Amino acid sequence: MTELQDNWASRLRAGAIGVAVAAPLALGGAAFAQSYPSADETLDWTIAFGPGGGNDIMARTIIDILDTYDLYPGDIAAENRAGGSGAVGWGYLFAQAGSGYGISTTSGSFVTTPLQADTPWQPADFTPVALLATDDLVLVVNGSSDIQDIGQFIEYAQSNPVTIAGTGTVNVDFIVPTLFAQAAGFEFEYVSFNSMADQTTALLSDSVDAMVGNPGEILGLIDSGDLRPLVYSGASTPAALGDVPTMGDVGYDIGVSMPRGLILAPDAPAEAQEWWIATMQQVVQTPEWAEYISSNTLTPTVLYGEEFRTFLTNTQNGFAEVLRSVGAID
Amino acid sequence: MDIFSDLVMGLSIAITPINMLYLLIGALVGMIVGVIPGFGPSAGLAILLPVTFGMDPIGAIMMLAAIYYGAMYGGTITSILLNTPGESATVASTFDGFPLAKKGRAGPALVMQAVASFVGGTVGVILITILAPLFSQVSRSFGPPEYFLLAMMGMLTLIVMIGTNWKLGIISALIGFALGTVGVDLETGQGRYTFGSAELIGGIYFIPIAIGLFGLGELFYAFYSGLHKTGTGGIIQYDKESRFWPTAQDYISTRWTMARHSVLGFVVGVIPGAGATIASLMAYSTERSLSKHPERFGQGEMAGLVAPETANNAASSGAMIPLLTLGIPGSASTAVLLAAFLLWGLRPGPLFMEQNPELAWGLIASMYLGNMALLAISIFAIPLFVQMIKVPYRILGPAVVVICTLGTFSVHASFIETYLMFAAGIVGFFMRLYGFSPAALVLALVLGPLAEEALRQTLTISRGSFGIFLDRPASLWIIGVTIVLVLILPLMGRIGGSAGKAEKAGG
Amino acid sequence: MRIAFLVAVLGGAVFYSYIAFIDLNFLTRTGRLGPGFFPRFIGVGMALMTVWAILDALGDRRRVAAGGPEGDNDAPAGTWSDAVLLIALALGYAVLLRLFGGFVATLVYLVVTLSLLNPGRHVQNALVAVLLPVGVYILFDRILNANMPPALFDILPF
Repeated sequence: MTELQDNWASRLRAGAIGVAVAAPLALGGAAFAQSYPSADETLDWTIAFGPGGGNDIMARTIIDILDTYDLYPGDIAAENRAGGSGAVGWGYLFAQAGSGYGISTTSGSFVTTPLQADTPWQPADFTPVALLATDDLVLVVNGSSDIQDIGQFIEYAQSNPVTIAGTGTVNVDFIVPTLFAQAAGFEFEYVSFNSMADQTTALLSDSVDAMVGNPGEILGLIDSGDLRPLVYSGASTPAALGDVPTMGDVGYDIGVSMPRGLILAPDAPAEAQEWWIATMQQVVQTPEWAEYISSNTLTPTVLYGEEFRTFLTNTQNGFAEVLRSVGAID
Repeated sequence: MDIFSDLVMGLSIAITPINMLYLLIGALVGMIVGVIPGFGPSAGLAILLPVTFGMDPIGAIMMLAAIYYGAMYGGTITSILLNTPGESATVASTFDGFPLAKKGRAGPALVMQAVASFVGGTVGVILITILAPLFSQVSRSFGPPEYFLLAMMGMLTLIVMIGTNWKLGIISALIGFALGTVGVDLETGQGRYTFGSAELIGGIYFIPIAIGLFGLGELFYAFYSGLHKTGTGGIIQYDKESRFWPTAQDYISTRWTMARHSVLGFVVGVIPGAGATIASLMAYSTERSLSKHPERFGQGEMAGLVAPETANNAASSGAMIPLLTLGIPGSASTAVLLAAFLLWGLRPGPLFMEQNPELAWGLIASMYLGNMALLAISIFAIPLFVQMIKVPYRILGPAVVVICTLGTFSVHASFIETYLMFAAGIVGFFMRLYGFSPAALVLALVLGPLAEEALRQTLTISRGSFGIFLDRPASLWIIGVTIVLVLILPLMGRIGGSAGKAEKAGG
Repeated sequence: MRIAFLVAVLGGAVFYSYIAFIDLNFLTRTGRLGPGFFPRFIGVGMALMTVWAILDALGDRRRVAAGGPEGDNDAPAGTWSDAVLLIALALGYAVLLRLFGGFVATLVYLVVTLSLLNPGRHVQNALVAVLLPVGVYILFDRILNANMPPALFDILPF
């Protein structure tokens, strides 16, 4: 899912948090004489997408938790700086290099937008705090299909080239089935759609053989038996999907997923990075966070600091390799 | 039978003083949001969703739904008075709505659009009530081949829009198709005309172009023709108070128009992704081809306003079907409604109406009441809007610039889109001046990407064979209906000929 | 001017086609319709149609110059200066928006525009110039919680 499409998830807590962001950023750099964070500094929280997108919901969930548990001493000003699939917002954070008071959440576009456009920044430029969760996909077929499980699907696909629908091409929706098909040894035609709604309609109308998608958006159709889940791309299957195996379980682990994490401006003081890592370790322990993970059917995958930067670099290289091999990017 | 008792149960839930208050607030806010150019129902809903936190789910969802269909009532007002469609579903309403206002029939046009909206909305809810399960089958029989055919049907409207100067009309449509190709190519992921700019990855958004071409373009043109120098009166001549109400002739001549397009709009609305825009365009071109006076269309024909208005409201009811029965949002607006459902832990899907009968039927019942409330609000509010026409144009003009600008900005908080709106305004002025067709440009911009994507998806699925269009029952149905329309259209003579060329050229 | 506008459209069409032929593939590597398939048809069609329209316009001009009747394609008579003035003011407004934000830019734009278009009626102009931005601000910012253009240079005390 790109952020444009999951904008439907709307601005959940948008009203709750003020948007006054007149805080003079110029003061940021000089203020590190005392310990981080200073209560006098306003934390400038950039949300690189419009209200209501997956990125927005995650940012506002974290801010709520920080508020509820009094984890951050100063004021937090969250602002949506949407535009250019994240390029505008993360560009704004990039420009605050050296400051410890500029922060943002990442999502899939953090990796894919620099592959598609000439952004001045790359994911690895920012100061990594933590990878908090990953978005993973479930492969489903129409409930009326003869295919009952992933074994039958692979067997069928090896003799009859299948069509698999997903959202967008420079996206995990394309990468995951491509790598899975390579591993399992079948061929397929990828059919790219604009949104989850479009691809679900295509599958229900028997236009395509299967599709990949975020399970949270199709649970209703899975529960009613209209769609049949076959395999899950994450490390562990969410409870809502029952006993569907992961790609690793069936022996074709692909290890690609969309990172949802937290970053600071490039070259942020080490002190700030350490403070945020310690704080996020507390945040992920809260029941509110557990609830966010389960209601959005995310996979809780946690990595801190430099490990997160390595993860981002690997993910981006993996994406670039697959996309280059099909000619989607130069 | 069951339906009746379900509906009574729904009414008993909907009619509580507090819920009725929420419903009225929703309807009113929806109208206001609809009136502002740029704010469609989806932007309005997204912005107002946070207000409903802490409310009881039924009241909140009733209110949000009322904002959604209320915006469809309000959206037409600026189309008629200022030639500025607030969103894509009301573009077709400018075609005859604005000429009607220019002829001094702004009052009757506004009242008739409210009546048409009411009829379309109410018939839509009736169809939801009795046929929801049946229509959920319709929404699951549409795949890419059907969307392609549907987009081609929408393009039949271009025939009408290309106008008398067909060369310039075709150029206008081609400019629209060209703008529609900007952005990342859906199939290959390759950037087209993005020149490395991240702002252009998602393509050129339709709203700033439409507001600029229609709203600002018309305004610049009005100044060119010297309207600001006339004392009062302005763009639109407004006659005496006695001409405020529609004549009996207006109702009688459009009664079948309303009946037809309520059903047509609903059916198109049920198809996820097609929605109110295509419904209103199809209604306009169908109505014109059925009319005894097709030459009056575009000159201020009441049926030309009533048809798209009935259809877009019926379609917004129809769009509730895939939402409630499949959990698939058919449009940006129903997607926000889906988010609201999820927020309250409700997961729409095939089991939703069985598992949450109070909520589902309460919502449906509230839509009957909401449409009635909106009709009443419209009738009261119209005299206020008509006052706007009396403002001297030299004051109204700058005010329109301000509203168009701030409305455009508010949608995505984007300066780029705001500048695009100004650029479109200047281009729109020249197009208007030299006899091009801004409407054809906007339609091509909306339908072109839809048609291209659907065709390329279809050919990927069929591995290059066009036979797929004849294999699928739903496709055959659409082809059948199109043939009927196309057999009628050639009778209209010369204009029909030119449109065929436009379609080939634009693809 | 009509010919100048058509030539501008032609320029756009040629540029569009150039990109379509140079950058975008006609077919994908698997033989499906590529990203350049439709743009090539659109671009070439647009260029050809525009050339045709330019030839028509030149023909009209020659006929009128030879004392013939005016073509029906001619622009209706009007005053260029007023339209150009309004366009220039609107562009000024666009620049102000970026610099000073929605509220201040709207106020300044309305004061300037109204004093030019509606000269002498100071009270009326002042009322509109103040009440409209205030009304929009209350509606957008306070009631609807919608975005107003933010200022690059914030000169407001609140």
